[in-house]
Amino acid sequence: MTGRGNNNKFSRRNFLQVAAGATAFTALPAARAFAADEKATGASDHVVDVAILGGGLAGLTAARDLQRAGCESFVVLEAMDRVGGRTLNHDLGNDQFSEAGGQWIGPGQTAIADLTRELGIGTFPTYYQGKTTFMAGDGQASVDLGGTFGTDMKIAAKLDELARGVPSGAPWKAERAAELDKMSLGDWLAQQGFSPEDRIGWSISSFLTGGVMPAKMGFLHFLSMINSADSRYDRLDSIKDSAQETRISGGSQVLSLKMAEALGDKVRTASPVRRIRDWDQSVVTLETDTGIVHARQIILAMSPAMCQQIDFDPVLPTPRQELQRQWPAHSPARKVAHVYKKPFWRDKGLNGHIMQAQGPIFWAYDNSPEDASTGVINAFVAQSMLPADHQQAEKILSEIYARALGEEALHPIQYHDHDWGQDPWILSCVSAIPPGFWTQHGEALHPSVGRLIWSGTETAGIWAGYMDGAVRSGHRAALQALNNLRRSA
Amino acid sequence: MKHRNLGMSRLSLMGLIVLAVLVGGGALLGPELLGYYRFSQAVVAMSEADIERGGAWPQLHQACMSCHGNQGDSINQLYPDLAGQPAAYIVEQMQAFASGTRANPNMSPLAATLSKDEIEQLAAYFATQPVVANSSLQANPALRDAGKDLVKQGGCIACHGPNFAGQGSFPRLAGQGFDYLVNQLQAYRDGRRADPSGTMPTITAALSDTDIDAIAQYLASHPVQIQE
Repeated sequence: MTGRGNNNKFSRRNFLQVAAGATAFTALPAARAFAADEKATGASDHVVDVAILGGGLAGLTAARDLQRAGCESFVVLEAMDRVGGRTLNHDLGNDQFSEAGGQWIGPGQTAIADLTRELGIGTFPTYYQGKTTFMAGDGQASVDLGGTFGTDMKIAAKLDELARGVPSGAPWKAERAAELDKMSLGDWLAQQGFSPEDRIGWSISSFLTGGVMPAKMGFLHFLSMINSADSRYDRLDSIKDSAQETRISGGSQVLSLKMAEALGDKVRTASPVRRIRDWDQSVVTLETDTGIVHARQIILAMSPAMCQQIDFDPVLPTPRQELQRQWPAHSPARKVAHVYKKPFWRDKGLNGHIMQAQGPIFWAYDNSPEDASTGVINAFVAQSMLPADHQQAEKILSEIYARALGEEALHPIQYHDHDWGQDPWILSCVSAIPPGFWTQHGEALHPSVGRLIWSGTETAGIWAGYMDGAVRSGHRAALQALNNLRRSA
Repeated sequence: MKHRNLGMSRLSLMGLIVLAVLVGGGALLGPELLGYYRFSQAVVAMSEADIERGGAWPQLHQACMSCHGNQGDSINQLYPDLAGQPAAYIVEQMQAFASGTRANPNMSPLAATLSKDEIEQLAAYFATQPVVANSSLQANPALRDAGKDLVKQGGCIACHGPNFAGQGSFPRLAGQGFDYLVNQLQAYRDGRRADPSGTMPTITAALSDTDIDAIAQYLASHPVQIQE
């Protein structure tokens, strides 16, 4: 399938390699080192069948699939010095981890669940037993929400009904797309006759699930997210029986670490691709910081916003260019972790979950290891409301936690802090698709352009934006690459 | 890759609380009841204040809140204050982000998907929010004093106005985030940011990194003009 062992193809490849390499290798001295390096790693051919850009869940899944299909002629180019993309473990020592990035899986997220099992990695439930604390000003209230976020199910039911008509992987194809894409989630919610108090809860929901406050959250997009969750809002935005239900033993980044380990030197870290040349030709040239790579098929396993950071030569067709130029990247989460000797709040009937109105905390939650041998409070915080300085941030948060959970919170034994907004190779977490975006740009999201195959969670048919969507998009991209190779062989 | 998620209860949670107080009334301790009461008062007060400042919900400026603060005041030195920035400056920068003449991968798409009216609305909102002193800045008096001299030599006040409070197309610098100022000065010096007049690249051309730190320290710690 991959052409491995196909003699005719090899000779054609050798020819192309010489032709393409002649100019590139003289132009860039770094390429020599790369070519020599490739020989050392056993790849005798300078033109690889597939180059995968991005060593997150999508790219590594695609690479793993290629290898399992018998294709050995590929390389994964990762810009950062690590794999995992938007998953990242905070190492707490003693083989314990807390996540700085994407971390949960839930019902219907079968692609990531399968991958986890195949890699021999365990899962365990998110801890939510006990009371959640709501804070506003100097007041607070603790309520047992039974593993939910207390959503008003009447409103949720209305959303579910609308979501059934909005295909998750292609919201612009919904029958009512034009009408629904005109409004923001906020516009719709404002018609529901809420009290001012109600709006705070929906705002936090919109921000954490959709990546932006309701006024700029595209309603059509928000409905497509609910559609991913089987058109059940409570499966999207809750804990029990929902998308935040299950955690991954060893921290979510372990999936990427394990896949990368098995792929060995096919994964090249610290190799950002700056320029993609001749993507409309049979052999594409990639200019990376560690040299030139030539490949027949290119899988871009990254968000459209990251694709936009690459220089394409020739320029991309206008629809794709505009999709990338306007793809939202303004939802970089900042996620922090306080580590305590014990999850002391549990004995007090609290679940360690905190939601705060207009404070630095959007949502804090118990992210302790499975055996509860230490206690961890993770939190999504607003960049603007906490100093960048970690010591200052730790102290401010500890004081808030002390009010909510007790004095013990003043003395964390570790503090971890990751602001994805300062991470140039990530830019954003979820994509906060604004009103009007899908009907204008949606058609350009999936179709390949020349030898370029678009992957990454944003392109998934269901659970786009989630770890599950990333895995799905990796599987699909690998199939597409293999089929293209077969057809051109 | 969901980092995230969740929604908080419709704080019709208010309903739950009332219920809890009624049902478990006898068991509720004084402090707990007081906490509930204060919580509910605070939520109502915040919502009312938001509507008074920013008009009917949903308020567009809330889309900027996480990085720039609900009222445009960021206590994070990396993320710039928008409060009290001249409306003209905000409009021009948003247009520059949208067109790509000012490069920023987070801001550019956001600006490109805002209409002219929306940009003007945001500018009007942030321009009229109260300016707050930079309280989380870690002071460095020696650097600040060096910065004072450099700022004088550069004649910054001529464009940025008395007390560096900003005017017209020129931003407020007093009390702005330290790291943000450093990043912008470096961007001007290194040719990554332009200004229409070409002044900033010229002024910053000969600055060392230490000079830039000093200027930023002076401006970030500068007292802010108290607005009415």
